[in-house]
Amino acid sequence: MTPRPQWGQPGRRLVNVAWASAVALLAIGALLAGRTELSYRSQAQRQAEVQADILAASVSAALAFDDSTAMREYLDALRVNRRLAAAAIYDAAGEAVVVFHRPGAAPPPAHIEVLSSRFSHRHVTVTRPVAQQGQRLGAVYLETLPEPWTSVLGRHSSLALLTVLAFLLLGVVTAAASQLQARARLLAEANDRLRQEMAARSAAEEALRQSQKMEALGQLTGGIAHDFNNLLQVVQGAFELIRRKADDTARVGTWAQNGIAAAERGASLTRQLLAFSRSQKLELRPFVVADLIGEMRELLVRTLGPDIKLSVELQEGRAMVMSDRTQLELAVLNLAINARDAMPAGGGLTIRTRLRSVPPGDPMLAAGEYVELSVADTGQGMSREVAERAFDPFFTTKGVGKGTGLGLSQVYGVARQAGGAAQIDSELGRGTVVRLMLLRSSAAADVAPGPGEPPPILAPAAGRTVLVVDDEAPVRALAAETLELLGYRVLQADSGAAALALLEREVPDLMLFDYAMPDMNGAELAGLVRARLPDVPIVFASGHADTAAVEAALGGQATILRKPFNMETLARIIAERLS
Amino acid sequence: MPLALLGYALAVMLTVLAATPVSAQTDGLELAVKATYLYKLAPFVSWPASAFASPTAPLVICVQGAGPFGQILDRAVSGQAVGSHPVTIKRLARVDADSGCHIAYLAGGPGQSPAQALQAMEGLPVLTVTDEARGPAKGMVHLLLARGKVRFSVDAQQAEAGGVVISSKLLALAVAVKR
Repeated sequence: MTPRPQWGQPGRRLVNVAWASAVALLAIGALLAGRTELSYRSQAQRQAEVQADILAASVSAALAFDDSTAMREYLDALRVNRRLAAAAIYDAAGEAVVVFHRPGAAPPPAHIEVLSSRFSHRHVTVTRPVAQQGQRLGAVYLETLPEPWTSVLGRHSSLALLTVLAFLLLGVVTAAASQLQARARLLAEANDRLRQEMAARSAAEEALRQSQKMEALGQLTGGIAHDFNNLLQVVQGAFELIRRKADDTARVGTWAQNGIAAAERGASLTRQLLAFSRSQKLELRPFVVADLIGEMRELLVRTLGPDIKLSVELQEGRAMVMSDRTQLELAVLNLAINARDAMPAGGGLTIRTRLRSVPPGDPMLAAGEYVELSVADTGQGMSREVAERAFDPFFTTKGVGKGTGLGLSQVYGVARQAGGAAQIDSELGRGTVVRLMLLRSSAAADVAPGPGEPPPILAPAAGRTVLVVDDEAPVRALAAETLELLGYRVLQADSGAAALALLEREVPDLMLFDYAMPDMNGAELAGLVRARLPDVPIVFASGHADTAAVEAALGGQATILRKPFNMETLARIIAERLS
Repeated sequence: MPLALLGYALAVMLTVLAATPVSAQTDGLELAVKATYLYKLAPFVSWPASAFASPTAPLVICVQGAGPFGQILDRAVSGQAVGSHPVTIKRLARVDADSGCHIAYLAGGPGQSPAQALQAMEGLPVLTVTDEARGPAKGMVHLLLARGKVRFSVDAQQAEAGGVVISSKLLALAVAVKR
């Protein structure tokens, strides 16, 4: 479980900000109130001073000439000011001459020493000099009534308002923050739930993938077993016939041919599997597509059966492509089988080749000349969903044991490796067209052996010695017999150690190593042998699926003979390496 | 309550003791008041600028004739100043235009009666002060006794003729004003 995020953080920050704002607001309010208070006080003081000054100016003559009646009159005139609490006039010696105070108010001091002006306890007390032309005559004293509380409150209403507002703000923000926190908590819980659900779903998907893999594996093994059983049936049948009627040389030849053909189809099947697993190195050679289709025609007719009419339209002339001939054959065969299965009640299959020019900017293909090979049937077609997945490996609509799900995937792989692409046009009830776009090649075509020709046995290099190292006795014996049949002298060893011991005594002209052997594999053996016999060519035989790994172990220049191999291939490669 | 009785007796004794010299000096007190009035008038009076030789020239109070004040006046004005003008006293038997007075108390004497002195000072920027106790002649300010207190009347006409301006504050305090 990941650490839970700090959902409360933004809310708390908000509250802090609100608190700071409220405090700032209050501080500003207090400042403003202080200023207001100060200005009010100085103003009140100033007012009292002005009034005292007026009184002082008025009473100067009366004070100078000791006219207490006049002074009393002046003081009495001040009574109309309701804010005045007390007033007095002092002579030059500071003694009170005339005094007035309202009932309830304290009487003014009888004697004053110094002049003063102050604001205290909500009232102003001010003493001002009485002078005429610089001649100090005495002083006047004024005291105001305390300012009523209502007036003070009125003056500070703004502060009160600010305080109320600040607390209101705080309240609102705190409430909002707590609400936010509650929502954040809910969100966090929802998030946790979501995480759990995602984890559960992820686990479920993993389980589903696993079961799909198992299902695919089941389909694959089922399909392969079915195909292999058929092939083995043919091979076994052929050998049994040969054993029983070994004297009938003419028919033995035919049965042997059937057996060989079945074995070759088995080899094709494993090649198909390996090509699918992308470990099989394709043998890309230039050839004419029209030739290939022409040669396959008979096979296709037999595969499709009597109810399906095959028509072939070859329009591309002699255009060549660079591809693996066997793979392309397989692809066409796969397509024909699919078409046949799609037309249980019969129909028509059209194989067409033509030249296509792809302009620059095509989303699928690089610009250039292509040979389009299309296989069209008049079958039941397929739905959009099926068509979209048709090229996926292991995807099949056939029952278990009926197909591997690799056919169309192999078709797609062939097209890609020939520098092109494959596409399906299909609709339910409207048949299916599969198009392979193969990049046109300008290379010179290999001369293909004519159909039905007996395999040419290459001229044996008489007297040359070949060392065969293989841990599997039947395979080793077969290779040895084949090589002897071709005219070579053969040495045999069943392990790397035995081979090394044998090489102490005799040096062959060529060595054929099996790759996968216990204790010491072909690559290791080759490493040891090359140090001593650098000039003796080595050919590796491998049935290993991972050709790339074999190549990497042997170095790029190694010659690899893929199992199963036929006599012709073995003869050709041995002859090439010896020449 | 013997203590209260003692206090009462003491108060009576003190009152008796204090009352005797006060009544004896009534005339002296009146003189002292008049003497202070002489210089106290000054701040309420404006003279033409030509009346002073300089801003710090003394303000001269002349006492003409048989002045009654003796040392009282000298003590009263000692160290006093009106504005920037220090106050000085001049005692003269006779006064005229050349006497250099700003305020002249015309007491009258063998050489010059208050009326004659007034005549000599007519039209001059000199605040003439006469005293009811010294004769009927009335200067710009005429001192008199009213309800036992020293008061004064003002003759604004004379003052105007002499170029002397008397403050309205003083006029307000006068028992009578001749305009």
